[in-house]
Amino acid sequence: MPREAEVSVNEREFIYQALQENIRLDGRALDVFRPLELTFGDEYGVADVQLGKTRVIARISADVTAPLPERKFDGIFQIITEFSPMASPAFEVGRPTDAEVILSRILEKAIRRSNALDTESLCIIAGLKCFALRADVHIVDHDGGLIDASCIAVMAALQHFRRPDVIVEGEKATILSAREREPIPLSILHQPLCVTFSYYEDGDIFLVDANLAEEQVRQGEVIVTMNRHGEVCQVAKYGGATVDPLALLNCTNVALEKVKELSKYIQNRLEEDAKKKDAGGLMAELSAENDR
Amino acid sequence: MTLLAVLSHLNRADGSATYTHNGYAIIGAVNGPIEVQRRDEMPEEATVEVNIRLAVGIGSPKERHLESLVHNTLRSIILTRSIPRTLVQITLQVTSLPEEEAASGVDSACTLLPHLLHTALLALLSASIPLSTALTSVVIAVPASASSKAGTTMLSPTAKELLRAKPIRATHVFAFSGNRKLLLSQSMGVFAYDEWGEACEMAEDVCCRDEGGVGLGEDMEVKGGQGNLEEWLRSVVQKKVEMEQRWRVAT
Repeated sequence: MPREAEVSVNEREFIYQALQENIRLDGRALDVFRPLELTFGDEYGVADVQLGKTRVIARISADVTAPLPERKFDGIFQIITEFSPMASPAFEVGRPTDAEVILSRILEKAIRRSNALDTESLCIIAGLKCFALRADVHIVDHDGGLIDASCIAVMAALQHFRRPDVIVEGEKATILSAREREPIPLSILHQPLCVTFSYYEDGDIFLVDANLAEEQVRQGEVIVTMNRHGEVCQVAKYGGATVDPLALLNCTNVALEKVKELSKYIQNRLEEDAKKKDAGGLMAELSAENDR
Repeated sequence: MTLLAVLSHLNRADGSATYTHNGYAIIGAVNGPIEVQRRDEMPEEATVEVNIRLAVGIGSPKERHLESLVHNTLRSIILTRSIPRTLVQITLQVTSLPEEEAASGVDSACTLLPHLLHTALLALLSASIPLSTALTSVVIAVPASASSKAGTTMLSPTAKELLRAKPIRATHVFAFSGNRKLLLSQSMGVFAYDEWGEACEMAEDVCCRDEGGVGLGEDMEVKGGQGNLEEWLRSVVQKKVEMEQRWRVAT
């Protein structure tokens, strides 16, 4: 397990100097995302996100278990992020790096704790049975921006996923397979997305969606999670650079604009995929979904 | 039967391959030769590390077992002595399994193994790791009921076929090197030695290139809709090399 190759002094200086002239290595403007590509698998709940050279696959799966004794009316939702040496040889199996811990913590705060998924709707019989949802995040290619890409992947996969329908008769619950009844989409309350700002020159310059080289030479980062309605779900800051409180307000404004763009793109892709799956035009009739 | 492979599509890893076959999809990545940790370092050989990661859930002893099988097979074809004191790191990420897989009642270790081996080999080729020979592998299933029409052995069956022919009496996985040498034989279930021999011969036919001529290849086409595995492997790599050498050919 070799260490991640560090950026050389010359390269570091080069990136700094270019940034002072408002130039990025890949020719993007300072506040522009890399080209985003989102594809869905044949199964429900698989989202493959490509953000520039970064590639993340999220996969949602559902199981039936007993709910936690202290939360009888809630289902279980877990996000699992484990880096593999596929993304970078510096990642070792079974020994989480700082980046991995930060990623899982941010996703936890952004998606789980902001109640993006209504866990109560996963309950089948209070205290006895509930759905346990699990989101596996696989980092396939690593070129920076893992937090943003993973958040997009998990949210897109959650919106794409369909859980099997259940019939409850007293204490008995029957899970209906996809053949018996069309699976139901999850009840998602809002769609939080993360935007990472990287700070340079003691907080004078900030970048949106830094790639790996830019990430390695940054002085600090601010991660803003918000939904397209402009509600901030969390703000996290790592690294030493000092950031002016007023600059944070500016960050949220920029983030809102980006989040709106991203959610629109995700929505479009979801609709395209739904159209593709809805070959005979029977989906509306088959749907077993209840209106909220 | 749809065998599909894409080579060198990841930016970060030294070599990579995506392999899709009958609902199985696996991404393989190879990093190497790279620096090895002191405790794993071997003075005259390269260390080979295999990581298998499932689409859903974290690894269990079953994956460790698969890892050791893949590791031992690949070690015998990688020229470890020509790159001593280095590490060849192989990561195999299963991205999807066929739906019927769990219901077919056959241990997934057997059905998954050939696909893992093929992915690993393609990724190794893509990373230009020195190999002594190529490798091809196939799974053979023997159903329990001899009376039914499916009573004969099934060659590289799909998950659906396995489900239909349930219960399965025995499954064998064979891997052959380019020079027709048996590299791996993994069997599960109840079977006689003669049956094993028959299965082995059958696998050899599918796996290894026929030196005689065209006869067998065409025959296979009719039966399984699939040519020879070794030929397929060659064509995948050949296509990739041709693609990369366009600039040279064009001038």
